[in-house]
Amino acid sequence: MTFSNSNFPDKEGFYGEYGGKFVPETLMYALEELENTYNKLKDNKDFIDEFYKDLSHFVGRPSPLYFAQRLTDHYKSGSIWLKREDLNHTGAHKINNTVGQILLAKYMGKKRIIAETGAGQHGVATATVAARLGLECHIYMGAEDVRRQSLNVYRIKLLGAHVHPVDSGSATLKDALNEALRDWVTNVDDTYYIIGSVTGPHPYPMIVRDFNSVVGKEVIEQSKDLFGKMPDAVVACVGGGSNAMGIFHPFIDIKETRLIGVEAGGEGVSTGEHAAPLNDGTPGVLHGARSYLMQDESGQVKDTKSVSAGLDYPGVGPEHSWLKDIGRAEYVAVSDDDALKAFHEVTELEGIMPALETAHAFAYLEPLMKELDSSTNVVVNVSGRGDKDINTVAEIDGIEF
Amino acid sequence: MNRLTSKLQNLKESNKKALVAYLVAGDPNLDTTLDLMHLFVDSGVDVIEIGVPFTDPIAEGPIIQKAHDRALKNNISLKMILELVDKFRETNTQTPIVLMGYLNTFISHIELVQSIGENSADSILVVDVPGELNLQTYGITNPNINIISLISPTTKDDRVESIAKNSTGFIYYVTLRGVTGSSNLNIEEIKNNIQKIQQYSDAPTMAGFGIKSVEDASTLAACSDGIVIGSSIVEMIADESKSKEFGRIGEYLREMKTAIS
Repeated sequence: MTFSNSNFPDKEGFYGEYGGKFVPETLMYALEELENTYNKLKDNKDFIDEFYKDLSHFVGRPSPLYFAQRLTDHYKSGSIWLKREDLNHTGAHKINNTVGQILLAKYMGKKRIIAETGAGQHGVATATVAARLGLECHIYMGAEDVRRQSLNVYRIKLLGAHVHPVDSGSATLKDALNEALRDWVTNVDDTYYIIGSVTGPHPYPMIVRDFNSVVGKEVIEQSKDLFGKMPDAVVACVGGGSNAMGIFHPFIDIKETRLIGVEAGGEGVSTGEHAAPLNDGTPGVLHGARSYLMQDESGQVKDTKSVSAGLDYPGVGPEHSWLKDIGRAEYVAVSDDDALKAFHEVTELEGIMPALETAHAFAYLEPLMKELDSSTNVVVNVSGRGDKDINTVAEIDGIEF
Repeated sequence: MNRLTSKLQNLKESNKKALVAYLVAGDPNLDTTLDLMHLFVDSGVDVIEIGVPFTDPIAEGPIIQKAHDRALKNNISLKMILELVDKFRETNTQTPIVLMGYLNTFISHIELVQSIGENSADSILVVDVPGELNLQTYGITNPNINIISLISPTTKDDRVESIAKNSTGFIYYVTLRGVTGSSNLNIEEIKNNIQKIQQYSDAPTMAGFGIKSVEDASTLAACSDGIVIGSSIVEMIADESKSKEFGRIGEYLREMKTAIS
């Protein structure tokens, strides 16, 4: 078993014209050290065995590919299948990546773990694996997200990690990432930075993709078993894009499968109040990589808007930008309102409460299923469960506890 | 010859150390920045480094981050900064000016960067482009602009050589692991590393990041070609931005100048 089935990125960390390593000089050595370690370990049998052992016994993989009978009945066209990443330990796909990266940290002998988080899922997933190995852990989180995701903040603290609210800039995920990078610049000797998405400087987009690709690999096998062919479409939400890249990547060479990424449309893409750089952004450099970016004409990064903290990010992983440009994946956006509607619909129809991030992928079924006939099979990546969003949804619905 | 190159050469020939001082353009406003630039020169500053504000300045500590935020509230753009430099040049044609910022703001205004003439800014320092990468790749080919690269305590020897080769202005030695304005200078390590750089390159080496006291300044000047002062000035600018009593900054810079002479 190896991790990657793609020639990208190239040696400099580029996917076409996207990606790269745009960081202050102080981080160059750390990135090089990480890249060398990863390149050595990714084909090492002991390392791979340990990773897959943790995925089965600690995370609970493989996650089921579940036939959604009532959603299928509801749309009256193709069959809808759910890849149940919400059933993973800690409730989202994020744990696949943190289980892998903490192994890298262990092999590199790093004693201190840092991470950024938006919705808090990556913070929880990082604090979880750090607790398991008894490593000191610091989580950076935008002050606005600390407010929106108080439940996850408490979970992170229960796991023994320190939460650092970040007040600078827009006080959301991008600012948490800035602060985590600053911490890493300062403590680079003993610290491992577990980045939470397929973003950031090379080699991170590659490493996070490779660890998360277990999702797409499982879907390929499960599709063969359950319906005897490859799905006609795979749908996933895209913020930084790690859950989407994890399920898309093994499908890149399977041309009969449409890959559809759903961005956060916020108030609507035409209003400019959203977090959909692949739909309404231009290439730029943020957080160490060149990719589509929400920016103004002066190159300043714009504030984003989304009901979902995990998608509230002005950039996107560089490989998604490349897949968009070469036309291998389609990127669409759905609004906050449509995502909330889908949140309720899926919860009531399937007894599965999706994360608000995931609800964006579900919301796109409405237009998508109209195009498809009854012989088609569509896979939705249920990237996370929605318990963490109950306060947000209740507040929007005007409910006080 | 480029204004910066000749200035540093002259200083070196007369066995003097350079004092480089940093401020963020438009903090608290552009008129004040212009006044401060003249104050810098009057107080003995040899090179002015102008921070180009960016929404996500990942190499900056809290003091300079806040200055970027304040400047961005005034919608400061690279175009306005080059107009500021033009105004400065109306009365000062001697003091070299370095623009220090992040790649995204420079490539968003690439036509402006390319049109910088001889009587404007003299050099560019792009914090988030590793020194061995050529800025020409990003369309920055203006012969009037020379390039400053950073070398840090964690830069490996093989990279020191290639970075030094690409640096046409000076080599900026980052004196600590950390963001701007952090503390805890490791003087022995700094001395050794600057000596290493000087083996590879004749380009002047400036030491910066974390220099606060006159003691730091004089120790570091002794083993480099000059020093860069940033956060402590930016902090004073913030403190006095209402009163506009910037005399203290002039005094501080004169003390620094004396300390490195």
